Amino acid sequence: MVEKRNTKAFVEKIVPRVFKAALLVTLVYLPVYFLSALVHPLESFFPWYEPLTNIFTIVFTILLVVGVFVSGTIYQYVLGVARTLVLMLFFIYVLNGGIIALAMPIEGATVSIVIDLRVILAMLVLVCLLGIGKNVVHAIDFVSAKVETEEL
Amino acid sequence: MRYAVRALGWATKILWILIVVFAATAVHSALNVRMGFGQPQIFFSNKSMVISVPLFVNNTGLYDLSELNMTVTVMDYNGSLVSTSTTFVPSIPRGSYIESAHNVSMSLDDITSKLVNYLFNDTVFNLDMSLKLNFAHAIPFQASMNETVPWGAPLYNFSIGQFSYDSYNLTHERVIIPLSFENHSPFFGIDGTMRVELYNSNEELLGSSVSDLNVPSHSKYDGQVEMIVDISKITGSGEVRFYFETSTFSFGPVVMPYG
Repeated sequence: MVEKRNTKAFVEKIVPRVFKAALLVTLVYLPVYFLSALVHPLESFFPWYEPLTNIFTIVFTILLVVGVFVSGTIYQYVLGVARTLVLMLFFIYVLNGGIIALAMPIEGATVSIVIDLRVILAMLVLVCLLGIGKNVVHAIDFVSAKVETEEL
Repeated sequence: MRYAVRALGWATKILWILIVVFAATAVHSALNVRMGFGQPQIFFSNKSMVISVPLFVNNTGLYDLSELNMTVTVMDYNGSLVSTSTTFVPSIPRGSYIESAHNVSMSLDDITSKLVNYLFNDTVFNLDMSLKLNFAHAIPFQASMNETVPWGAPLYNFSIGQFSYDSYNLTHERVIIPLSFENHSPFFGIDGTMRVELYNSNEELLGSSVSDLNVPSHSKYDGQVEMIVDISKITGSGEVRFYFETSTFSFGPVVMPYG
């Protein structure tokens, strides 16, 4: 009877997390999919984009899913920091450090194009750092709340 | 602590939304900017060769373009700088269209005096075109291309043939100098006069004459120059000096030895 109740409680706890994880994975996958579809015609100019995005998506998804399953523990925030770090490194790598240089053949001539995206990259890194800060503060808050609960 | 966490959460969310909106609108705007170089045109005015590169920018995007800077550098076949010029447009507001011609001007007198080689030998000019601008006052953009423009020598294979002498009177002879060259220039014909001076080996002027020239582009000139010279001064060798005065360039002397 107790075993049955434990199983029921486990299922009640795990099923919403599975749905939440599935929903979040879909939400992460959709923009990546649309971005890939957008970049696909220009693949020859960004050869590094697709393999890198696949690796990033896999790592990010794993961290996201594990983060959902360990929510309510300190690991949720540790994984949150790891996820944001991965995202930050992805942006730095995919934007080539902020300077994108392409060589496009146009009407027989080769046009060299250089786009300086360092301002955009700085904004993205800033938001990622803010996300890391948020997770750290959240983790501190979580630990202090836990200590308070234990003291009471 | 809760408020700090909440504030950080909201700040992060708002910044993400701003970045996504900016990125989406920037990509949309960039796709709506039409910009290009036309085919370089070459024409002549006031003894200058002008290479005109048409430039158009149609900014139908959501953001302004600023600090448009176009530079064209012309170099000859061995990389020596022939000319450089810059066009600067401070601002292209959203929804506006600009069309302009970037002109690179080269004095033909300069070309002919400094680089005589261009008159007699076919070559190519290298055109380095670069365009820089600031997109949405935040994203610097630069495009550059390299193109070659063929240069056909207007006096290609300029040569004089064997002189022939006809008796004119007891003291003078008529000298006939055969002359030929090819106008390889795709851009201009040679229209003007050619002055020829004949010197003996003592550098004494034997005679001179002026001939009209009308040699269209991509055509050959085969002619002769006649002059009356003093028999007593003829030494059998010396030099012929040519001076050209045409609508596109003035040049001389071209010195050719004979004998």
